[in-house]
Amino acid sequence: MSLPDWWTIDPNQPFTLGPRLFPGRIWTASGCFAYGLTGHDMKSANFTSPYQGLGAVVTKTVTPQPRAGNPMPRLAETPMGAINSIGLENVGFGEFLAETLPALERKGVPTVVSLAATRPDEFGDMVAMLHETAAGFTHWHGVEINLSCPNVAEGGHDFGRDPATVSACVRAARRNLPDRALLAKLTPNVTDIAELATAAAEAGVDAVSAINTVIGLEVDLETGRPVLPRRFGGYSGPAIRPIALAKVDEIVTRAGVPVVAVGGIGDFRDALKFFALGAVAVQVGTAQMRDPFAAARISRNLIRG
Amino acid sequence: MVDPEIGPAVSCDGVVMSNEPVSSGLVRLDLELDQPLSFQPGQFAMLNLAGADPLVFSRPFSIFKADGRRMSFLYRIVGRGTRAMGALVPGDAMTFLGPLGRPFPQPETDQPVVLIAGGVGLPPLAAWLARRSDHPGLEIQAFFGARDGADVPWDLLDDRWDVSVDSLKDVPDGRRAWKGLVTDLAATSKDLQDGRNRMVLACGPTPLLKAAARFAEARGWGCWLSLEEHMGCGYGVCKGCVVPVLDPDKGPEARRNATCCQEGPVFNAELLAWKRPHRSQ
Ligand SMILES: Cc1cc2nc3c(=O)[nH]c(=O)nc-3n(C[C@H](O)[C@H](O)[C@H](O)COP(=O)(O)OP(=O)(O)OC[C@H]3O[C@@H](n4cnc5c(N)ncnc54)[C@H](O)[C@@H]3O)c2cc1C
Ligand SMILES: Cc1cc2nc3c(=O)[nH]c(=O)nc-3n(C[C@H](O)[C@H](O)[C@H](O)COP(=O)(O)O)c2cc1C
Ligand code: FES
Repeated sequence: MSLPDWWTIDPNQPFTLGPRLFPGRIWTASGCFAYGLTGHDMKSANFTSPYQGLGAVVTKTVTPQPRAGNPMPRLAETPMGAINSIGLENVGFGEFLAETLPALERKGVPTVVSLAATRPDEFGDMVAMLHETAAGFTHWHGVEINLSCPNVAEGGHDFGRDPATVSACVRAARRNLPDRALLAKLTPNVTDIAELATAAAEAGVDAVSAINTVIGLEVDLETGRPVLPRRFGGYSGPAIRPIALAKVDEIVTRAGVPVVAVGGIGDFRDALKFFALGAVAVQVGTAQMRDPFAAARISRNLIRG
Repeated sequence: MVDPEIGPAVSCDGVVMSNEPVSSGLVRLDLELDQPLSFQPGQFAMLNLAGADPLVFSRPFSIFKADGRRMSFLYRIVGRGTRAMGALVPGDAMTFLGPLGRPFPQPETDQPVVLIAGGVGLPPLAAWLARRSDHPGLEIQAFFGARDGADVPWDLLDDRWDVSVDSLKDVPDGRRAWKGLVTDLAATSKDLQDGRNRMVLACGPTPLLKAAARFAEARGWGCWLSLEEHMGCGYGVCKGCVVPVLDPDKGPEARRNATCCQEGPVFNAELLAWKRPHRSQ
């Protein structure tokens, strides 16, 4: 397929999101490309590096303290998707600030830092520390707050399900983030995602990222028990693309906030569908796990077809 | 012992050159890659079907042989992905990411080595053995365990391998096989009774790995195991394949998660915690 006539955007042309100019519109999604591959050496005859043409790497979600994550197995595969229960295993905010983010800066990787916390004010504190440490970094473009984790302060509900909490988290982060883009990553596991996007927009985000994983479960027929020890996991990959398209459409038409689309994007045609609905950028998750050059390939194919 | 140098991992396409059974349970897949690649025994590749409908996750397979652009694997058909692989014919395309992971170590001196392989654990150790052929002085004992005589890829095993089988059924005339567990075969081998300090390398199902670790520990020998964990990415970015390991820097009881795909698949048995990881906080 060649590129359609309506597609006139160059995904490698810098574009503005809030206070920042991003180098491109094809990003990698949180949790599917670690902290942007620091430490790896990956080669392909077709690309100079996995970062070629990338607008941003959204880091694995970082929490205030390191997390060991969930028991194994953490992954289940379906014919069209993946169910993960990684449990936010990450190095913790301290090490991330001291080691990981400076390494990304040295490498020149355009970075969006994904953060999760258990209380709104924790988001504010983490963003303030980020701002203090990385104020001079030129490749750190923004923060994506992951609103799909258990909210301890509110008694264990998902942050992202209650508009008032979404609003509180966004406000706390925005207050301390004057000069980088602020994104809120929304969960699809709600009745009305546009309502949440509206709450995030009114509280000051520059864009929302949609969608996070869909709650899923797989059963092992041999044992008669769920495959994942935590029973539920996050469903991703091609299977959720129609859900992501629907959620993105709801947000674009009803909330009027820029959307960075994510969910089941594996090639440039998938990406085009989200751009057709009005997404300003897209993120590649599960497909990036299969191929470290997936996002680079999409970026190139959106220019050449 | 020395860790071999590891080159970059390459993402490229491959064309199936042949895909034929080498025993009742093992299939040999030969791919011609876009470019020549070398590997270290113990390293693996993530393979997938090319085209519009790849498997959501690629599948990890140990590299058996590499010769220029040709790369060979041995696999067993166990599920959806390997069934689809079994249907591939010469000319079909696959995608390849590799070589990945940390290989088996090489002995520093002339320390003798014991290889223990079970079933599809054969390829990395056969590769290791092939690589040592240019060091004829090194003493190596190799043990391979299979289900029965038909399951053994006899043509791929030279006379350095001692074979054990769960059942003596279908052992061909002129071939020798011992009935029992491969680790018991190693334990009773006369060649290993001379009191010399050896290094054990093992690959196979988890019970075999645990038995190999006990075998080595009982003799005070070093032991390296290639582990199989379910993998998402295979290149260290998803944390879907973690193995709990001891963290001696942080204290005798301390543990941490190591990625099987990047810090492994080959681990020093001494560092393995062999239990479920800590529950998340
Ligand atoms: C480092 C490494 C090297 C390996 N080398 C070989 C080899 O040389 N030859 C060989 O035959 N097999 C090897 N395996 C096992 C092989 O990866 C699995 O048999 C294969 O993934 C099964 O895929 P499936 O779709 O047929 O099975 P399914 O059960 O349908 O697969 C479902 C999911 O579980 C995963 N899975 C299932 N069994 C295993 C397993 N034993 N190990 C890891 N993941 C699994 C699959 O990758 C897939 O994601 C290796 C595994 C690892 C981790
Ligand atoms: C293994 C895995 C880990 C993930 N980890 C995170 C995470 O830490 N934070 C987050 O916001 N989203 C995480 N996600 C969700 C993805 O960023 C993305 O929103 C989702 O997978 C849908 O996109 P996809 O279909 O392209 O994968 C994870 C997804 C997967 C598959
Ligand atoms: S399989 Fe993804 S980190 Fe090992």
